[in-house]
Amino acid sequence: MTSQTPLGPGASRVYSVHEATWWEELDDRERRLLDGALTVSVLTHPRRVLRVLAHRGEAGAVPETTGWAVARMTWDGASGPVALVTVSGAADADAPDDVEPLDLVVDLGGERPEFVQAKPLTPSPFHRAHFAARSRAPVAFDALRQRRTDQLERRPSRRDIPRTRSAPRSAAAAPPPGDKPRAVLFGLHWLELGGAERWALECIQAAAEAGFLPIVLTDRASSSPWVTRPELADAVFLPITSPLEAHQDATLLNGLFDAFDIRGIHLHHCTWLYERLPWIRARFPWVHIADSLHILEWRTGGFVEIAVRVTDAIDVHHVISPQLRDYLIQDMKVPREKVVLATLADLTPTTRAPALRRDGGTTVAFVGRLTQQKRPYLFLRLVARLRRDLPDARFVMHGDGELADEIRTMSRRLGLGSVLEMRGVDQPVSETLDDADVLVISSDNEGVTLTSFEAAAHDALVISADVGSQRSVVVDDLLCPRHPLPFLAAARERVITAVTDPEQRARWAAEQQRKVQAFAALPHAREWTRDLYKEWNA
Amino acid sequence: MTLSVTAVVVTYNRADKLPTVLDKLAAQSRPADRVLVIDNASTDDTPAVLAEYGARPGIEVVRLDTNTGGAGGFATGMKLAYEGGADFAWIMDDDCYAEPDALAELLSGLDAAEKQMGMQLPFACSVVQWVDGDVCEMNNPGTTWDWGRLLVRGLPVVLVEHCSFVSVLVPRWTMAKYGLPLSEYFIWFDDQEYTRRITAAAPGIQCLDSRVVHDLPTNRGVNFADVNERNLWKFSYGVRNEASYQWHHVDKAAALRFAQRVHRGLKEGRVPRKLRLELARKFLEGLTFDPKPEFPKTVL
Repeated sequence: MTSQTPLGPGASRVYSVHEATWWEELDDRERRLLDGALTVSVLTHPRRVLRVLAHRGEAGAVPETTGWAVARMTWDGASGPVALVTVSGAADADAPDDVEPLDLVVDLGGERPEFVQAKPLTPSPFHRAHFAARSRAPVAFDALRQRRTDQLERRPSRRDIPRTRSAPRSAAAAPPPGDKPRAVLFGLHWLELGGAERWALECIQAAAEAGFLPIVLTDRASSSPWVTRPELADAVFLPITSPLEAHQDATLLNGLFDAFDIRGIHLHHCTWLYERLPWIRARFPWVHIADSLHILEWRTGGFVEIAVRVTDAIDVHHVISPQLRDYLIQDMKVPREKVVLATLADLTPTTRAPALRRDGGTTVAFVGRLTQQKRPYLFLRLVARLRRDLPDARFVMHGDGELADEIRTMSRRLGLGSVLEMRGVDQPVSETLDDADVLVISSDNEGVTLTSFEAAAHDALVISADVGSQRSVVVDDLLCPRHPLPFLAAARERVITAVTDPEQRARWAAEQQRKVQAFAALPHAREWTRDLYKEWNA
Repeated sequence: MTLSVTAVVVTYNRADKLPTVLDKLAAQSRPADRVLVIDNASTDDTPAVLAEYGARPGIEVVRLDTNTGGAGGFATGMKLAYEGGADFAWIMDDDCYAEPDALAELLSGLDAAEKQMGMQLPFACSVVQWVDGDVCEMNNPGTTWDWGRLLVRGLPVVLVEHCSFVSVLVPRWTMAKYGLPLSEYFIWFDDQEYTRRITAAAPGIQCLDSRVVHDLPTNRGVNFADVNERNLWKFSYGVRNEASYQWHHVDKAAALRFAQRVHRGLKEGRVPRKLRLELARKFLEGLTFDPKPEFPKTVL
């Protein structure tokens, strides 16, 4: 049978479908994944006819859409074929008909929950010890982690990141404008829930509104649950999962620049694209290049370190927090004119009428993903201490994530069932913030949390670990040390004061509003991006 | 990209001169983006003066609960400037009248000097004149051995290794790297200690086309022969602070040379024995007094 439904934007812009057979109906997400796989395959195999067999993987399996994996003619277990599509490049009118098509196999992955346990399927003894330590002795485990972070923060080599030299940008080298669609190439980690991804989707929408065709490249294998979001409806999608074969990197990029009038590249946490920027700058020197950076990662260096390595090839670094601005300019000596601070404060309302609170006791809440970074286990320990100090208080933990099972077990072990309410991501965060008198942020690293803004808008007092740029939005008195035991002691004392001393609470609330408003008055990322794309479109 | 400058004026009981200081700031050809007035708990009409000026756009008044001295005021003002995201703090006393191009010349002079030297320079200060146009003896900066290096290249700039807090432009990176002035010094030698501290790796500059007038009652530098009952308190801080600096941050011999200089000055001025003993006590206090700088934190 032949489907009449186009797979996605790549079908008309990059490849033509010669023939298609379907054994099972694809849902929208799978359709966009297959469209992306075909787009990458056609661009990496110019002037070839491709016969692509797509199969649906086992539940929990991630898709494999590119590189060596698509040359594998086998699949495992309950996987099964869902489509066989013969395609060639849309511009390859002269692709010979009599050449035998090249056969490829694309794994569309299986159904996955939104959050996946970050444990390897076959954990090594090291991993088993790691998980056991975290679940059985989380505070001691965390204390050791924070000591390691201290060492890494002080490491002198952090100040000396080697730089890759690049050719200078040359607008004069631009080819004459043709009738190719104007485009912006976006590099993303993946299309899953995350602050950087949320901002990336805003940018993709802004580029489309500015008259650009968005091209979205992701470099992390993922089931891409957000690929069906309306912001991506017209975007050409390039899901790179495994490393591409030899020469295919350049072939892919050359193919993209042949097919589209790419005016700019905007990176949102995409290692593959970062690493290829010096080559792109030398090969296509007229292209504008910008990136958006969100968070410093002390252990790995993260995307900030990668960006510093290739800063020579980047025209402008957009940062969302004052801490990152100072890190790039003062510590990494990136020229000040290349660093733009534009916050995401306007993605969240900062003022609103406080909701009517329910009568009765106090509510102390945690809102966030249940991951190592957010340290939900510290909140549980805090609850265990506060339940004795504030017997009428209620505690809410709102979120889900890879530590969910450990957290539930820990909660049972600490006997918190009667005072701690667990809320899943199916419930609105705004409801929890309406209920909350105090929001506790126990993370060991952050950029600047949007939840702090939301909490302030809901009249909840924010008590936070003093990490990242939290100092920008949290009252000085309510910042707690990052190390777990001092954090627990300080957070406990602040929560008790906030609940039992209404005058102090009022002073803190006023200071919180002042700080949030001052931060909200900084330049906004939406406006900066709009102006940037306008400049690229000139 | 526009660089932001926060002017920091530290004041204590100078209601008569403060309006001129603030009017001169408003009349700059390149005005500061924000003016922060740190009121060290003044007990005269300063609050009334500041109530009027504080209502003007761009001027913010921070009234401290206690008098923290010039050192404490500058440390607080620079900290607030840093936390407010300023690229530069431009610091000055409450009797410093800036000529219209004072700030513009500091900014352009620092930029040109950094390009010539190929490095970041930790501060730029103005030429400080007394009310009669002569150089203000109290505020003459100390030059480096190669002070004319940029002059011969055509820049109206000399290289200096220390200066007083009367119109000094301090870049953000300097505050991040070297911290803030030592508020524990309270008064005297806080500016010397700070500017010597921040010139550890590169000299500061004095921009000869950036001028301010320091409206002091008399034009006379620090001289230990002038010690008397009325000004003893101020010299006491000076002796303690400089003894501390020389002993802990230069070397022991430098502290002893300083003691010798104080002794010679007191002897020349025939300063009463009681006052000399008090200053000797302050010198000894300085040997165990070694405050550590606070580092500002990024907020905005």
